[in-house]
Amino acid sequence: MKEPVRIQEENFSVEEEVEAIKRTSKRIGAVVTFLGVARDFSKGHTIEALEFEQYEQMALKALRKLREDTLERFDIIDVRIVHRVARIPAGENIVLIVVASEHRKEAFSACSWCIDTLKKTVPLWKKEITPEGESWVEPHP
Amino acid sequence: MIRVLLFGILATKTGTKEIELDVKTPVSLEALLEELRKRLPSLPEGEFLFAVNEEHASKETTVNDGDTVAIMPPFSGG
Repeated sequence: MKEPVRIQEENFSVEEEVEAIKRTSKRIGAVVTFLGVARDFSKGHTIEALEFEQYEQMALKALRKLREDTLERFDIIDVRIVHRVARIPAGENIVLIVVASEHRKEAFSACSWCIDTLKKTVPLWKKEITPEGESWVEPHP
Repeated sequence: MIRVLLFGILATKTGTKEIELDVKTPVSLEALLEELRKRLPSLPEGEFLFAVNEEHASKETTVNDGDTVAIMPPFSGG
């Protein structure tokens, strides 16, 4: 089975990750996913692609800590986090968070907290590639 | 010698991803940043995040000879 926390250039399969988490326990009654996708339009500009840079030595460690913190903070069974880097054409997947729990409420809360915290704590930076040129993206709360 | 890594917009604006600074140590990150500005005047102003040897740090953190310092703009993953 693939690692539950990964940073990779290639695309990922949402179905594969959901199946992987379902296999971890028969107690699972709810699976909640957050899928971040590259939009083709932002603030009046056409976006051809996004490009993600990472601080490689820190980013994976930060994601693993995020998984541990999410497991500790919420009454859930498991969580998987996959984030892509390098060039991501508009329309493709960026990030996936999959949370499994006995009941849906905790899974929704954990998934929401996990993506919010990822944005604040993982050293990744996003650049928009437009027909007019490239620009780094200011963080969104 | 202190190895300084720059990321995102900071690397783009300065045209530098990595630079070595020969400064008297130990030195605070704040003082190191001032030294860096002398070498890279195009370094933007703003709120940065810091790491020393891959651990999160603050402006008050002390840096020693041989350390690797990362100066990072706010994260924008996800």
